Amino acid sequence: MPAIILPMTREDILKRMEDVQSLPTLPPIVSKLNEMVNDQEVTASRLGKIIEKDQVLTAKLLKMVNSSFFGFPQRISTIPNALVLLGFNVIKTLIVTSSIFEVMQASDVKLFEHSLGCAAAAGIIARRRGIKNPEEVSTAGLIHDLGKIVMRAEFPEEYDRILAAARERRISVREVEEEIVGMGHGEIGGLLASRWNLPESLVLPVRFHHTPERAGDHKKIAAIVHFSDILVRAVGYGSGGDPWVPPLDHGAWERIKFGKREAEEILMELEEKLAELQNFTVDIS
Amino acid sequence: MQRIPIKFAAAGMILEKEAMTPEGQVLCGAGTELTAELILRLEKQGVAVLTVQGHPVTLPGEKSLPERLKELDSRFSRVKGDPVLRAIKKLIARMWILQERGEEALQALEKQGKL
Repeated sequence: MPAIILPMTREDILKRMEDVQSLPTLPPIVSKLNEMVNDQEVTASRLGKIIEKDQVLTAKLLKMVNSSFFGFPQRISTIPNALVLLGFNVIKTLIVTSSIFEVMQASDVKLFEHSLGCAAAAGIIARRRGIKNPEEVSTAGLIHDLGKIVMRAEFPEEYDRILAAARERRISVREVEEEIVGMGHGEIGGLLASRWNLPESLVLPVRFHHTPERAGDHKKIAAIVHFSDILVRAVGYGSGGDPWVPPLDHGAWERIKFGKREAEEILMELEEKLAELQNFTVDIS
Repeated sequence: MQRIPIKFAAAGMILEKEAMTPEGQVLCGAGTELTAELILRLEKQGVAVLTVQGHPVTLPGEKSLPERLKELDSRFSRVKGDPVLRAIKKLIARMWILQERGEEALQALEKQGKL
């Protein structure tokens, strides 16, 4: 087996994360929204009006919130409505990540599909488990592989070699990452998400989607994202970089487990959503 | 039964499940035979996917059932020892066989101990 020499260490990655250059910059609107949302007096309608000044962003957001991976039962037609119905965390995450997903759709459509599929599965399970804001769990599913996007964008050559090594040795991308970089895509994605000031309910499930029992106060959401990742890989929708169904964490399974009949219903529901997602793109053309 | 994006729908296909708008409003029931005019109307109402009887379309990139089952097996090859994942895999295989070949084919395979 050829040795892989990668000029990439944990320190390199942490340093590079201080100043991620290759990813699209955050829309200026994000810092403004961050300031406003700390003010208790700000209403959804005022926040919404600010977002709606950006028509392109508004159109993209409305497309996302009405797409089948959220599975919200009614049509959402305005940003203030979206803020009230889905919550600020979801809308903020979509604003922060919308340009990244556009890039990803062009550069790695299989990972894009994997992310959408995981979001759909997470929403289905969260609803069935009575989670208060299932759309937030979908959002966590949508961005769970953020770390892979960062790696691909910031260290493209090295990341290609990681993928090649995973293929050659028939092991998972995560195993190669841990072995060579000493850091998995979960940790990298979690770091970026916390740098963007996303809430812990999103940062922890991203960071610990392969080890969900370490996700502090958000173990259940992490468990749902963990299982959704497995389920979407199981049915073969999109690709997270390698073809393997990852190992199941049984602690996480205990938190969300279901019997045969419910599993059948979940699989049918997921198939339907995935069929609808076939035509979904982030851009608004 | 097969789920198809509406752009692959054609006159003569029969709905296995009712056609619904994204808001959940039922537009026409199971058993309806599609016509060109009806497909156009459903599309205008925002219907994206239809579930039709049989397996009338080979979608772009679609693989045959045996091929899909083989790949399913391969994807699970590193977690063979996990009873929960084994059960999930079996349910996926059953669902696909049922959708494409129907109940009788599924029962026959189960009788032969092939599932």
